[in-house]
Amino acid sequence: MLGKGGRHVTVADSPIGGTQAGYGPHRAATRPVGRSRLPVSVVAVVAAFGVLAVAAAYTAGRLGYAATSWADQLYWFGQLLILAPVAARLLSRRTITASETLTLIVIVTVAEYLVKVCYSPAAFTYVDELMHWRSATDIMQTGKLFTVNNLLPISPYYPGLEEVTSALASVTGLSIFTCGLIVAGTAHLLFVTVLFVLFRHVSGSHRVAGVAVLLYVSESLFQSFDSMFVYQTLAVPFLGLTLLAVYRLAQPQAAGSRAAWFTVGAVSALATVVTHHVTSYVLVATLEVITLGALLTRDRTLAAWASILALVSAAACGAWIVFAAPSTVGYLSPFVDSAVQAFRSILSGGHSGVPPPTSAANGPLQNQALEAAAVLIMSVLVPIGWWQVWRRYRRQAWAVALAIGALSWYIVVAVRLFVADGSELAGRASTFVFVPAGFVAALAVIRLTDNSLRWPIIRADMRIRAPAVVAVAVAAALVLIFNGLVNGWPPYWERLPGTYQVAGFERSVGPEQIASADWALAMLGPGNRFATDFGDFPVLGSYGDQNPVLADAFLYTSPTFTQSAAQQVQALNIQYALVDQRLSEQLPASGSYFPIDPNAGTYTHPLPSADLAKFNAVPGIDRIYDSGNIVVYDLMGSAYYGS
Amino acid sequence: MGRNQADVTVTAVVAVLAIGAAVAGAPTAVMTVLGLALFAAPGYLLSQLLIGSRASGLERVCVAVGLALAVPILGGLLLYAAGVPLHRAGWVGLLAGVTLAADGALFARRRAGRAAPVSWPRQWWRIPPGRLAIFAAAVLIAAAAVTLARIGVSDQPQPGFTQLSLSPAPQKPDTLILAVSNNQGTRTSYRLVLLRNSQVSETWNLTLAKGQTWQQSLPVTGTYTLTADLYRLPDLTHPYRYVFTHASRSAPS
Repeated sequence: MLGKGGRHVTVADSPIGGTQAGYGPHRAATRPVGRSRLPVSVVAVVAAFGVLAVAAAYTAGRLGYAATSWADQLYWFGQLLILAPVAARLLSRRTITASETLTLIVIVTVAEYLVKVCYSPAAFTYVDELMHWRSATDIMQTGKLFTVNNLLPISPYYPGLEEVTSALASVTGLSIFTCGLIVAGTAHLLFVTVLFVLFRHVSGSHRVAGVAVLLYVSESLFQSFDSMFVYQTLAVPFLGLTLLAVYRLAQPQAAGSRAAWFTVGAVSALATVVTHHVTSYVLVATLEVITLGALLTRDRTLAAWASILALVSAAACGAWIVFAAPSTVGYLSPFVDSAVQAFRSILSGGHSGVPPPTSAANGPLQNQALEAAAVLIMSVLVPIGWWQVWRRYRRQAWAVALAIGALSWYIVVAVRLFVADGSELAGRASTFVFVPAGFVAALAVIRLTDNSLRWPIIRADMRIRAPAVVAVAVAAALVLIFNGLVNGWPPYWERLPGTYQVAGFERSVGPEQIASADWALAMLGPGNRFATDFGDFPVLGSYGDQNPVLADAFLYTSPTFTQSAAQQVQALNIQYALVDQRLSEQLPASGSYFPIDPNAGTYTHPLPSADLAKFNAVPGIDRIYDSGNIVVYDLMGSAYYGS
Repeated sequence: MGRNQADVTVTAVVAVLAIGAAVAGAPTAVMTVLGLALFAAPGYLLSQLLIGSRASGLERVCVAVGLALAVPILGGLLLYAAGVPLHRAGWVGLLAGVTLAADGALFARRRAGRAAPVSWPRQWWRIPPGRLAIFAAAVLIAAAAVTLARIGVSDQPQPGFTQLSLSPAPQKPDTLILAVSNNQGTRTSYRLVLLRNSQVSETWNLTLAKGQTWQQSLPVTGTYTLTADLYRLPDLTHPYRYVFTHASRSAPS
């Protein structure tokens, strides 16, 4: 709760961190020690210099120094400038007002977003962004929704992001790229701000809320996927606004404004449903957990409103699937099956049938060590946070609901440890899991720092040792956040942008690929079935608006034409083959040359050049495009089709 | 209209100006300013109508931004269902329509005393100028960072390339398009040799500026193999790029 002038005041039930005067017999030990000598405005300047350092590291990478250690160190120095002052101020014992806390959160969110922008400052290069760029471009060009997107077929059926972006691009005249950055950045900042508001309401303390958001920043996709131009980025703030509306609806003083807040909640829920499938299901599940928390604490008003909005959301989800997006079921089925398999695997003892994780998938040893440390820290903090919920918030429905939700942290850890490809699933889930886990862990962090200040060994020399306690807390927070950066996105081998990499992600998007894709769209028209490699796949599907084939490795891994290949070409209806000659010069950066690659992770030599050159000798084949590295063959009149 | 309706006036003027600018085909700079204001206006007005002063300033901002983003999502669906193309006219009409309707509703509610007049958070004016200057410096440094990153992209050394293609013309199966695009990053001279069944049919000497494309339509007059060899001068020994196709005139329908 905010007092006059932004100072926080104590709320009922003596919330943890709700007053920096502390509690208990050693009140003096935890009393705030005046205002910080590091003003928030200076933190903003330091963070801006951090962004500048990261941009310099990126520029060095583009100019050919991506593999040098100094460029890498410059990147991490920049991140340290962004994160350390914010963490120090939020975890400091010195007085911090609500507006300062909010400003710090805005600083770290905006700075990390700018880091993401600096990675691709001229055009989208992240694969997921390219998929949505295609859908937005289609709306701009056709004026219609629900057009075909071969790269991400489900995306046109959840058009919220593309609608907002094309609306903004239409009324301003700015490019889809610029408008996409504005929309994604606004949505990302909105979500973080709504989280802060909710955490502050639940805990009654802006200090707890600030630390909880700081821990949320450590979520591995915070700096990348969660702020990308993808549909989830826009859907999550609507989820947050729906929860804020539920909170307000259940307040006793909301009697005169319930219709208004219900409207806000319903509109936000509908916008969530139209924008992203998984987020809308998470919204329904979250509202159910809040209902459970309300029932456990006998908060009937909250239980009623959470149930009503859960019903509204569930009905909207069902109606959308039935009437607008029936393909959602087929799209999500493999993921659901994978999740079910994951749980079965865990329940049956984990490792059966699961291949051991390869070092290529998990990164260098130091990255794995950092991940282990981060998992350990969070796994220790969450139970302490639960204890704090029990001690101080067990009659508070929202805190109980968050405590229940924090259980998901351990499920995600189990999936990451014991399930094949569990990192992907766990990483995607972290956007949602870190909301309750971050809050509960924040209660633990504040309890531990405040409590340790009462230890005799600390009290013996508060002037020296109290800052050391804060330093430990800041170090732990930085370990969590740096783990998120190290093991997040882009992968460690593409942390800095640079020269072209075969079968990479962002570094496989270059001028020659884009020019080839543009040529395909202009000369061949959209939607052709193309065989291509991993690196060219997203460019051909987005810029080229083609329909690339996933399982085409067979076509590139034999030295001669074979009848079996011809049968598969016909079965998959492959019309054109794009051959990037560099597949015979470099090993695949991602471990896979092709979107579905049976030999993934096992390559020791680049593909033989004969495997790629064989197309020139296939009877009837047309070599219709040549840009040096990239050649396109027309297979339709060739021996592949029996001609 | 007094000062307590200033926001209604401003947003109504923005809506009308945006409609006028869209109809007149105003330059991008004008449309950008008006478009951003028009995009934000419905969210602000709807939040004033729904929440007014019954929530903290931060919550009002969150609701306003959320509703600004929700209007094109739900409104776009309605436009689509109504058969209105989602081009500039449709979007400007939607946003301006919602803005003017919300303006009217807010104006009426305030006149009836059922909505609070416009108010501005006073603490904004209490930020000391020195601190404001430091924040401004942070913004400038961040802008410099993005500029530096953009310079990095434009200055990134990229190997030049030349595109050569020989493919059927779109919608014209009896015509082939032979095209050369120069992306070498500099003015480049080529010799293009077209062979019909391995016999030289035509030769072109081309000098293309950076980014320039040359193309030639080739009517298909029978069944034969066409090969195009592109030489990058002065090397006339090794083809720099080559393409080939099996041309076959389709039967007249």
